[in-house]
Amino acid sequence: MTDTMTSALPFNDAIPGAVLETTPNGLVVAAEKLPELARHLRDQQGYDYLAMVTSVDWPQYLEVVYYLCGVAQPKPGLVLKVRLSDKANPVVPSVIDIWPGADFQEREVYDMMGIRFEGHPNLRRILLWEGFAGWPLRKDYRESYYEEDTKPLKSRHPDGSHLWAEDRVPWKDNVTYPVGVDPDLWVSPQVQYRRIMGVDQGGNGSSLNTERVLVNMGPQHPSTHGVFRMVLAIEGENVVGLEPEMGYLHRCHEKIGERNTYLMNIPFTDRLDYISSMSNNLGYVLAVEKLMGLQVPERADYIRVIMAEFTRIVSHFIAVGFLFNDLGAYFTPALYGVRERELILDLFEAASGSRMMCNYMRFGGVSADLPEGWIKRARETVWDRLPRVLGDFETLLSGNEIFLARAKGVGHLSAQDAVAYSMAGPMLRASGVPYDLRKAAPYSIYDRFDFDVCSRPEGDVWARFRVRMDEIYQSLRILKQALDGIPEGPILAGKKQYQMRVPAGEAYSRIEGPKGELGFFVVSDGKANPYRYHVRAPTFINLTSLEKMCIGHKIADSVVILGAIDIVLGEVDR
Amino acid sequence: MDYIRDFFINFAHSWTTWISGGLPGWAVTVVNFLLGGLILVMMPVIATLALTWMERKVIGRIQNRLGPNRVGPWGIFQAIADAVKMLIKEDIIPDRADRPVFNLAPILIFVGAAMLWAVIPFGRRMIGQDLNIGALYVVAIGSITTVAVLMAGWASNNKFALIGAFRVVAQLLSYEIPMVLSIGVVVLVVGSMRMGTIVESQWVPFCLVLPVAFITYVLAAIAETGRAPFDLLEADSEIVAGYFVEYSGLKFGWFYIAEYGNLMAVSAITTTLFLGGWRGPFAGAAPVLGPLYFIIKTVLVIFVLMWIRGTLPRFRIDQMLAFAWKVLVPAALVNLLWVAAALKLPVPQAVQYAVMLVGNLAILGVTLTLLGQSAKQHAKRHGLAGA
Repeated sequence: MTDTMTSALPFNDAIPGAVLETTPNGLVVAAEKLPELARHLRDQQGYDYLAMVTSVDWPQYLEVVYYLCGVAQPKPGLVLKVRLSDKANPVVPSVIDIWPGADFQEREVYDMMGIRFEGHPNLRRILLWEGFAGWPLRKDYRESYYEEDTKPLKSRHPDGSHLWAEDRVPWKDNVTYPVGVDPDLWVSPQVQYRRIMGVDQGGNGSSLNTERVLVNMGPQHPSTHGVFRMVLAIEGENVVGLEPEMGYLHRCHEKIGERNTYLMNIPFTDRLDYISSMSNNLGYVLAVEKLMGLQVPERADYIRVIMAEFTRIVSHFIAVGFLFNDLGAYFTPALYGVRERELILDLFEAASGSRMMCNYMRFGGVSADLPEGWIKRARETVWDRLPRVLGDFETLLSGNEIFLARAKGVGHLSAQDAVAYSMAGPMLRASGVPYDLRKAAPYSIYDRFDFDVCSRPEGDVWARFRVRMDEIYQSLRILKQALDGIPEGPILAGKKQYQMRVPAGEAYSRIEGPKGELGFFVVSDGKANPYRYHVRAPTFINLTSLEKMCIGHKIADSVVILGAIDIVLGEVDR
Repeated sequence: MDYIRDFFINFAHSWTTWISGGLPGWAVTVVNFLLGGLILVMMPVIATLALTWMERKVIGRIQNRLGPNRVGPWGIFQAIADAVKMLIKEDIIPDRADRPVFNLAPILIFVGAAMLWAVIPFGRRMIGQDLNIGALYVVAIGSITTVAVLMAGWASNNKFALIGAFRVVAQLLSYEIPMVLSIGVVVLVVGSMRMGTIVESQWVPFCLVLPVAFITYVLAAIAETGRAPFDLLEADSEIVAGYFVEYSGLKFGWFYIAEYGNLMAVSAITTTLFLGGWRGPFAGAAPVLGPLYFIIKTVLVIFVLMWIRGTLPRFRIDQMLAFAWKVLVPAALVNLLWVAAALKLPVPQAVQYAVMLVGNLAILGVTLTLLGQSAKQHAKRHGLAGA
């Protein structure tokens, strides 16, 4: 490499030798220079938001991928890649000091790919259990019942008839254990929560002689919204430390996604955030369409926007209702929210054939046209019913004194922290950062609609409630415009097909899902199945700031703060 | 006709006369006391069966649902089905639990709930034992619950149960004080602690004369029974079920019965102290109507408590203790002072009552104004918009 070529590389003046190469899909960075470059990018270049960290197992090297963008001053994304050719002992410096939002994402990469992040204070497995052997997302990892690298599996259809693999393969026949491991002798490793117990700091630092108690909230707990566990260190009623433990619903979505064909993954995305399957469909098809370069017919675009906004309303109704459940309102607001959800699910059912697992979007369009009379029903919902119900919600909930006393000033997160922790969606906007991907980086046809970005400066639980309520009004505005403007025409580009030709390359699509930035990172090597398929789950990353928000509050508040994040475990654990 | 007019009392007389025919005097007393005790002990159980069904129906309607509707007409046998389920469940005692205490707690809590019924007047002369310290007895027995709950929480060897028990002690002790102070006001006005006398001297229900005492008592009573919005001791969304999280089967059933028994007893005491008990139109001429009025009023109070449960979120422990000590206790104290002063006025009773009412309304107004102002100041201090 000559000197002239080196100086042409970006950021070479500031950090010499940091960027090794420019590729169409991002900058290749030297591992040891990464923290220096990251600090420069954050402080001087305005890349204050780490959108995603993931990794790809290429034949020659492991690659860690960082997606950066600017939130304070919106900037187009920048992709950094670190290539590690030592597959036996891959080490990268951690960027957790620069972007605290990298915390869980780096742990996930370590968990799935075995890449160690030097300087990470709590590098443990996050989705899998302590003691799990192997790195599942490596290409050489073979799960139980492994047959082939990719689906459709030939064994399922011998001579054209159908046979389940589980019937054919006796249990455990191809479950392999590492050398020297006897599952009967295995003892679960003890996880020592030294950090939150204050052991490392030498006691609780107060002259009052109190004792810290660890309380496991979950995985079987009524207000963790599923199988989520918060390890709380408490002194009396006060929370002094918190550590989220997740992965109870982990099914290695991404590994299964690599085995599936591109089309098979669409219904699979329904199972991520099962409250808002339409949005998940949309995010995934947009990513693959980016790779394929498909143009979507206008009618299909309108239908997608209508479905996505209805999904946002459903998700926010559930979020607001169950937030009150966490506050102890005994299911009443939750059931009022669920009632509206059911009526919207009727619309989904009429269009897609399913209420929750819609499986509606396709590459280049949607799977079926809207049935007769659908628009009329949708108009009644949007113009008459939902505004009336929202009025009820406002009168019954928004002014409740107990709610205000419980929600205001609780779980505060400043704008700087929210950006640093890679918060997304209503969580980010409730901290006073008016960042909405529908405006900041419009996708589909969102640039055609007139709506406002809802934001609140308070950064507490009340602001998160308020932002969600306001977003329902804005969704209704978009729905009105979309239902008025929907044209006639085809709903799918080309004709329906089972097997897609997806050219080699990689694509990251970001959409503003109901719970935040929902990203799908798809790498194709030109074959029928994705080479790498990663989901940037907004609620998983939003949980990073849970400890920061909870410390100093009461036990009761930690439940409410968790409720205001609005997690769905299908997405957190993937 | 005369027999029907005061049916319950006359029936009791006939019964006593009938068994006196074959038994000595002391045996009649023993039989009658055992029978009366049995009826009173059954009250919490009856309350549970009736109130669980009622609560599920009421909250169902509040939540746009039908409530139970499968077991029997309108689901009225749902409570029976639940009871049977509870009876046949496995009784689990956690490892390293403090067994004697663990087993004693459900019994003790039930005893507390059952004993309250001894002094509740269902009608004129229809009272288990018209103690001359009836009101004091109610407060004293009510405190047994605290001990039982603390025993349950400690013995379960469970952190959630322990947190629940801590909360119980803080909460019940704090709310005992405004409760006693508001009962004290009634006792002061009546001049007797005898529950029968308290009812008989209410020619106008005390809730209309002493609204502050009434509201304070109801709030404290909700807290004492641990119901929403003060259900922190068993906050299901925070500490799962609090002190009885480790109980199952019949032992859990005792807690359940005690909870509903307490709910009904507290409503009955509210009725007795503030709503005129069994008094009502024609109750003087036909005492048989007394228990009917009493039950209607009690169910009305219970309905309001259920309504609150179905619609309000829960307080946090610090807010709730602050509410007791900074709002309820001062208001109740000022009220007590005012009533004591008003009783010394040399005017007819009706005028005294009017003076009390005026004072009460003033206290209510001042309290609410101060509350609103402090909320505004709090919001300003924390730089919060709105409020």
